[in-house]
Amino acid sequence: MRGHAFLVAGYVPGNSPVHRLPLGVKALLLLAVAVLCLASPLVSVRAGAVVTSATLVVVAASHFVAGLTWPRIWRAVRMMLIFLVLIAAYQWWQYGPLVAWQVIAAIVATVLASNILTATTPVDQLLDGLAALVQPLARFGADPERFSLTVALMLRSIPFVIGAFADVRDAARARGLERNLLARSLPVVIATVGYARATGEALAARGLGDPDDDVE
Amino acid sequence: MTSSRPVNETLTTPSELPGEGSGEKQHTRGRQRWGAMDLSLIAVFAALLAASIAVPGINVGPLGVAITLQTLVVILCGLVLGFGRGTAAVGLYVLLGLVGLPIFSGFRAGPAVLASPSAGYIVGFVFGAAVVGLLATMAVRSHWRAAALFRAAMAGTVVIHLFGIVGFVMKGMGVQTAVVADMIFLPGDIIKNVLAVLVALSLHRAFPDLLVRRRK
Repeated sequence: MRGHAFLVAGYVPGNSPVHRLPLGVKALLLLAVAVLCLASPLVSVRAGAVVTSATLVVVAASHFVAGLTWPRIWRAVRMMLIFLVLIAAYQWWQYGPLVAWQVIAAIVATVLASNILTATTPVDQLLDGLAALVQPLARFGADPERFSLTVALMLRSIPFVIGAFADVRDAARARGLERNLLARSLPVVIATVGYARATGEALAARGLGDPDDDVE
Repeated sequence: MTSSRPVNETLTTPSELPGEGSGEKQHTRGRQRWGAMDLSLIAVFAALLAASIAVPGINVGPLGVAITLQTLVVILCGLVLGFGRGTAAVGLYVLLGLVGLPIFSGFRAGPAVLASPSAGYIVGFVFGAAVVGLLATMAVRSHWRAAALFRAAMAGTVVIHLFGIVGFVMKGMGVQTAVVADMIFLPGDIIKNVLAVLVALSLHRAFPDLLVRRRK
């Protein structure tokens, strides 16, 4: 089904050194990139520009080490191009070219770096990482099992909802209501809520998802 | 559709306000814990959010302007699920997007989104849904349900747009440019709010116990 494209879309399989780094290390490196780009201008404008440019070069280099392509960079930049131009123009006008370059380079470097993270790590590994992050919160009353259950429910519901959108579009088209927003959206949401309730009842019937201690 | 519901039957959620992105971790705290049905609704609405960016926009009107349903669903989460679950659903969506599922508009994914200029909107979604949910819980009990729900939706839209503008400015855009860049989306969002209220009214009619919990 189309919905399952979600589980692979960002990931580019490979065996590069970047692919083989543990997820934790990659996350820390990403954090380092963000900190370098945001904190360096606090020292001085020149230091900020130099450090950020160097970071951008390192990030771009690891992009290619990971076996990723030019179009991928362009795609990431194109999504925010208008905003980048607006920001660059304003910064240049207010603070001069050096600051404008630093600000833009910082945005591009952090965006690229996190793109590398998602491109070199399979989604299930990312989700495992998330579950591991939630684990220590159990001490503060969070419930990792129920959290993971909710995440799993969400992932498996996406194909259903996409299917509902397609069904409703066909139905609306058959009635000549293709451009009617309400006819296109309301049945989707009603089907979705119905699905959620059926799932909720099925979970409850199996004793899943309810809190362990009886509070109510 | 009686308006004489006891006030204290509304689903209340933990009193601590869930922070950005961490909303779903809160769902086990507090006196009243969420059951399987609540988890299911949260998960499926998060899936609805994810799916709403995957389906092609709906062409509306003689010009065939494509309308995407993303912001509509954010508002709808608040209108239909109320404060706690609505915030959790949007929070879960944002969290999984940040972790790396390509579920943000344009199939963007990962922490890159936080570094991009439109990050303010993503963060604003969580708070917008929280505000809408807070007001919606009161709105379903009021005599002028439709008007009250629309007010709630508009309040949420204002919150989301404020976050969006702050996001632009934090990335270095001038305040005036940011406001103008933001205002482009406002008319569409108001139309979507009207639609969201229509959908929410139908949903509350179809599933009367969705927001106002029945006593077992």
